[in-house]
Formats: sequence, C-alpha cells, structure tokens
Amino acid sequence: MEKIKLCCAKCGFVIEEYTADELANVPRKAKRHKYLLNKASICPSCLGSGRLKEVRGDDTTASPAPQEVAAASSAVAPTAHEKHAAMATPMMDELAKGPWPSHTAELKKTKYPSGMYEEALQKRTTQWGYGGYVSLPGVAAGVLVRASARPEITKGSNFVRIMDPCGNFFSADAMRKICDIADKHAYGLLHLLSTGGDLELLGIPTENLKAVVEEVTKIGFDVGSTGDDYRTSEECIGPAKCDLTLYDTLGFRYAWYKRFLDDIQYPRFPHKVKCKFAGCPNDCVRGGQKADIFVCGVFRDLPKINQEKVAAWVKGGGDIATICAGCPGRCLQWDAKKGLSLDGDSCMRCMYCINKIPGVRPGDDRGVAILVGGKMRGKYGPMLAKVLVPFIKAVPPDYKEVFDFIERLTEVYDEHARKKERLGDFLLRIGFDEFLRLVRIEPSAKNITEPRTNLFYHWEPEEIRDERRK
Amino acid sequence: MPGIGIPPLEANLPPIVKRNYGKWITHEHVRPGVIKHDSETGESCYTVRVGMPPNARLSTHTIRLFCDLADEFSEGYFRVTQRNSFEFVGVLRERIDALIARLDKNGYPVGGTNRSLHNTTCCTGYMHCHLAASDPAAIMKAISDMLIGDFKTERYPAKLKISGSGCINNCGEGSCADIGIVAVHRDLPPIKEDKIGGCDIQLVISVCPTGAIKPKGPKMVEIDPKRCIHCPACSVACAAMAPIGSANGDGVAIVVGGKAANTGDGPAMAKVVVPYLPNNPPRWPEVTDAVRNIIEAWVRGARKDERVGDWISRIGWEKFYERTGLPLSFKVIDGYDARALERARTGVRFRW
Repeated sequence: MEKIKLCCAKCGFVIEEYTADELANVPRKAKRHKYLLNKASICPSCLGSGRLKEVRGDDTTASPAPQEVAAASSAVAPTAHEKHAAMATPMMDELAKGPWPSHTAELKKTKYPSGMYEEALQKRTTQWGYGGYVSLPGVAAGVLVRASARPEITKGSNFVRIMDPCGNFFSADAMRKICDIADKHAYGLLHLLSTGGDLELLGIPTENLKAVVEEVTKIGFDVGSTGDDYRTSEECIGPAKCDLTLYDTLGFRYAWYKRFLDDIQYPRFPHKVKCKFAGCPNDCVRGGQKADIFVCGVFRDLPKINQEKVAAWVKGGGDIATICAGCPGRCLQWDAKKGLSLDGDSCMRCMYCINKIPGVRPGDDRGVAILVGGKMRGKYGPMLAKVLVPFIKAVPPDYKEVFDFIERLTEVYDEHARKKERLGDFLLRIGFDEFLRLVRIEPSAKNITEPRTNLFYHWEPEEIRDERRK
Repeated sequence: MPGIGIPPLEANLPPIVKRNYGKWITHEHVRPGVIKHDSETGESCYTVRVGMPPNARLSTHTIRLFCDLADEFSEGYFRVTQRNSFEFVGVLRERIDALIARLDKNGYPVGGTNRSLHNTTCCTGYMHCHLAASDPAAIMKAISDMLIGDFKTERYPAKLKISGSGCINNCGEGSCADIGIVAVHRDLPPIKEDKIGGCDIQLVISVCPTGAIKPKGPKMVEIDPKRCIHCPACSVACAAMAPIGSANGDGVAIVVGGKAANTGDGPAMAKVVVPYLPNNPPRWPEVTDAVRNIIEAWVRGARKDERVGDWISRIGWEKFYERTGLPLSFKVIDGYDARALERARTGVRFRW
C-alpha cells in the first residue's frame, strides 16, 4: 500500500500520513492534505518553520529512524524538567503585593521559569522568541509551541489546549485529574480559561506531548482548536442558570461539537473561524465583537408584561422612571393606574427592560439570528459582526437547519477567501452584497442599518429588460 | 487519541442545575458577588462570584484549593465565567458567609456583579508570548489593586469591564471592554536574513495590511518604513521577522467605550483615546492614573445604567476630553482606510 507522508523538510519528522485511498475518498483528509502542502508549518521536533516535504512510498521508505527524531528533539526541545536557577525577582515580588490575588504568586508555586517573566519586566521587552501551532502525528490541532529567545533560562514551552465542557462547569473530581496531569508532565500551571474559552496545560516538554494528549483523552476531555479551524466555541450560561435565555445554548454547543468535530480538530480553512453562541441579545459571550460566526438568540413578538409583578416591583422601590428614560426606543410608559405600556413599533427587543424589571419577560416567538465577520484585528482592525440571517428557528436536538446554513457559509468562505483572511476581511474585500449572493440569502431590511448613498452598482446584461408598466 | 469530543452535556453540571435546567424564572442581585436565581420548581440557587488573578493562569495548588472549597460548599462543582472569575453555584444561603470568610482568609475577593467593577481579564503578555509589547497582566494587577473596593461594592452607574491586550492582535479583548488597555509596538520588525529562507514570502507580503512589505529578490523582503503601522502581522506569519519591539519603543494605548450588549446604543468597539503611554514596570503609574481619571469622570457624569460608551455618546467626545482632561493627539484621528473618513465630524452640532 502506498503511503503519502508529509515530513519536515529539515529533520524529516513525519507530521501526517495518508494512503492514496484516503486522499481519493475522504474529503476532509484531502482538504487537510492540500492545506498542509500550501502552508508553512512549524515542525514539532526541530521547531524549524517552512513548507513540508511530501514523500511517497511504501511503509519502509523515507521514514527517518526514530533515534534521529529523538536526538533532534533533545537538541532544541523545550523541557519542563530542566532546572531553573533560583534568582532574585524584585519585580515579581512587587507584583505579589497588594490586595488583589497575584499572578506572580501563582507562578512561584509552579515550575514556570521565573527568569523569563522577571527579565522581561526589567528589560521592558518580551523574552520569548517565536511561537505557533504544530501538528503531531494523529493530533492535528491542540498543540502550541513557544520558542525562547533566552535559551540559557529556558529552551521553550509547549501547551496543550483542552476544549472546555458545556457551560464551563467543572466537577472538582475532573479538575483534580487535569491537575494531576499538569503536575506530572508540565509546569503545574493551568490557563483557566483562555479568552477563547479553552483550558490550557502550560509548559509540556516535547517528549511528553503525546502522553499528555493520551491521558487527557483518557479522562474524557479532548484537545483541539488551534490553527485554521473552528476554534473552541463559547456559549453563555443559557438555560443552566439564566432566566433570560431564548434557546438552549449548551445543547446547541453540544450538538455543534457532535456535528463539526472534524472541522474543529483538522485545520483546513483559510484562517481561524471563531464561533460563539449567546442566548439573548445581552451577548454575554461578546460574540458580536469577537466571533466570525455568532449565533444569537432573538425573539420576534413583544416582551411579555405581567402588570401585577411590575406594580409590585415598583411598589417595592423599583426605579421605573430610570428604565422608561433609558429605553433606547423610548417606547415604555409607566402610569400608576394603567400600569406599564409598550409601543410596539419602536421596540428593538434590546432586553433592557427585561434585564431590569422582574415582571417583563421575553416573548414566545423565539429563534436565533446569525451574524458574521466579527473580529478583533484581522487585516483591517476591529470589526463588529454583521447580521446575515435575522431570524431562523433553532430546533433541537440536531439544529439541522442552522448547522446546514453555517456549513454552506463556511464552504463559500473556504472556496473564495484568500489565505490568512478572516471572514470579516473577506466580507470587506468582496462586498456584503456579493457575499449575500454567494451564500444565497434574500436580502431584507434587517441586514442593513441604512441603504447605500452612492449609486455605484453593476447590472448584468441579462438583468436589462423592458420594465415599463404596460 | 483525539476524536472523542467534549464531555457529555450533563457530566459536569451541578445537581441543582440539572434539576432546574431551563426552568429559571427570575434573578436578583442579593449583594455584591452573590446572585440568586429562582426556579419555577420553587428552588433558589445562590451563586458566589470570586475575583481571580489577572490573566487566569492558576497553579494546580490554587485550583486544588478551589476544588476543596467546591466539595465543601457547592456539591463538588464550580464554574469559570466568561471573564475568568470563579463561581460557586448552588451554595446554601446560610453558608454564604462562611464561604466568603474562607475565601477572604485565602486572599480572594468576592464581588464583580451588577454595578461594580467586573473581574479584569487580559492576555498572557510577557509571561508566555513573543509578540507582547507590554505586560497587561501586571497592569491589570495594578488596576485591580487600585479598584478592589469597587469590585466589592456597587458604586458605579453601570457595570464596568476592564480588559488588557499585550499587542494589537487583541487576544485579551481590550477593544471589547468599557476601558481597554492595548499594548502597541512602535518599531519596525527585524528581518533576519539567515532565517528568512524558511518563511512563506508570499504570505508575509499578503498579510501586511498597508502593503509596506515588498519582495527584494526571490528570497528577501524589504519594508517601507513610512508605511509600517507596527502591527505584528508579519511577525506572526514569519519567524524571521519576530520578535518585534524594544524597551523604549513599546508601550500601551487606552481605548474606551466597547460593549457587546444590545441595550443602550447597541454593540460597539472601543475607541482609542490615548495613543501611547510608556511601559513603566512593575506598576505602570501613568496607565493607572489615566484609567482612574476616566472612571471618576464617568462616575461623576453618567446617568444610572449608562455604560462608558453610552455616556460618551450622550455627552459627545469633546465633553469627554474636557471632563477627563486627557490630551487629544493627532494619532487618535483615523486615516487608515476608506471607512475612516466616516469618523470625521459632519454637521456643526458642537457642544461648546
């Protein structure tokens, strides 16, 4: 059987292996193969970066001897078990003072090389050299490397990214097991949680990486979410502990992981795709600012007002005047006799009155809106997500309609976007009108804040016909 | 090996959540740091929120302490929020004081709900990152030390979120927050001739937002220094152009008015108000002074429920600069791309 291997061009370390059959029949493997060939990768063994080399042959050819790889890794590989010389740390000690819990005090309790942080603070510039994501054989996503610019302090550091459970709830027992792995193989330092919502084990020596991934999967967690794939999706607390949620965000995320696990663990998109799910327009996950694909719970009918409850709340000291004045649509009116009234035309369903008054609840005609293109930097700076679908029903348990649409959307992105172009930058380059056409969406007034002011639009010859009223 | 997916939905849910999943009807802020949720089953769930060290790196020693507290007070479960504070869910009402006392003894503050300072978050900074232009963790520690009283009380007009990012990649979400600290570089990226052979030259050229990088022969690039905006995009794409930065070149910018919620004026990205302040470890006094300045002006001027961004859009930017006393600089005027001119003033509705 012919094997197709992708190796590091420098040290020959095999990063991924396919058979010709797989490339012909498994689309995700074919896409992944093409993606890896077209991009500069960091080799997990020698940390050199560059294009991978494709080697074809049967089992025995061209695979480097395992000893060679081990030798290569010990030459530059980061290790948590290296001895770090004790040194004076005046800056870190200063940061350990004060009433707020200190991160330097945390670092001191672990095997983290304090010299790196202390020297950075003293020299006012970072002491790390270069970093990125690597693929190990069988672990396409989930491993990060950081090379040091100060090899005399530490050679570097590897991380493993664990996808957090739904709702970011942890049982103490599960967390203790993760701590055991961190103590045994790494610095004993966890990132709980990263801003993307993952749990990271920090400071793993290269030779321990495989063991860590195996042990993590053994206790029921999984790694992934680095590189150009769907990143770990964050969801708000939703029905687990919130009275305002408009759909089951936790269930939605669980279904998401069931359906798209391959796309989360096999990087192959033009750039990363961050997905966030918020239960209501309060957007506790900041999806409208950060997420390439943002699924937000919305309702179409008006907020439900329970006049008795509202009256009781006002009687008990509720500040109804502030809320009527602060309503962005100015549509609330309070009358001690008639109760609370709402002008339906100007209500934006912004959730303000619902957040503040216990007697006002969201309406019953509930679904989700899909927004795209939020990002924090990309090529053209921070950008808010744009409404693509104003309303679509989210039907458990498999949310087929929503997921099918998102799949269509990412296919368009995959096909048309340039390398390392975030979805927001792609939208900006091709234009929102063209994007709507590509994903086959009928435009509605809810897609825009206002129509265009310029008249610079293009007509195709086949669109030109006699449109006079007969 | 990978491929098993995330743990089953119910595996990590506390019993009180399982019993009342989707049945909650109201919530109430009992006191700073304690939220009560009522369920239609008649059960009440008390949640205690705890402030955590900036940048959320925790030693296993500390996490085990929290696991023990969870075993003792919340049936063996806890939760990490979107802003990295810990939540003990389902604490019995009569045991809340005992839990808070225990946390206090160990040096962890309880608060960060409703009209208070929420837990500060930031990226890893100098601790683990090759792109960091500053150390937001230390800055957040200094800011949190300064404002810990506001974390434990509800003195603000609305909630206040402060975040910090170590470079304009914004992993720490500075541009999302009411007040954000975003570190900036001011140097040109290095070009290491011996290493550039390993880079994808085409990619390096295409990721540059301003087209400042041009090919110079088949295996070398050059940078137009006039066009460089010191974003580390090329440093991310190519090891030979990292690390960027120097002691006097790097510093921090302050951005204000970001928010995600659709209330008030709707979601907004934060706007740059201070383009550069120097790095001054370990406590960054220039930055903490500016932040305190902005907060005090907001507390004095804002109406109830008005977040920083909503307050500014009501009073206008000229009043914002007047009230805070911050100097306005050329650098905060946007001239980056075609959309930038939209930020220039049209009409003459000035607030003198």
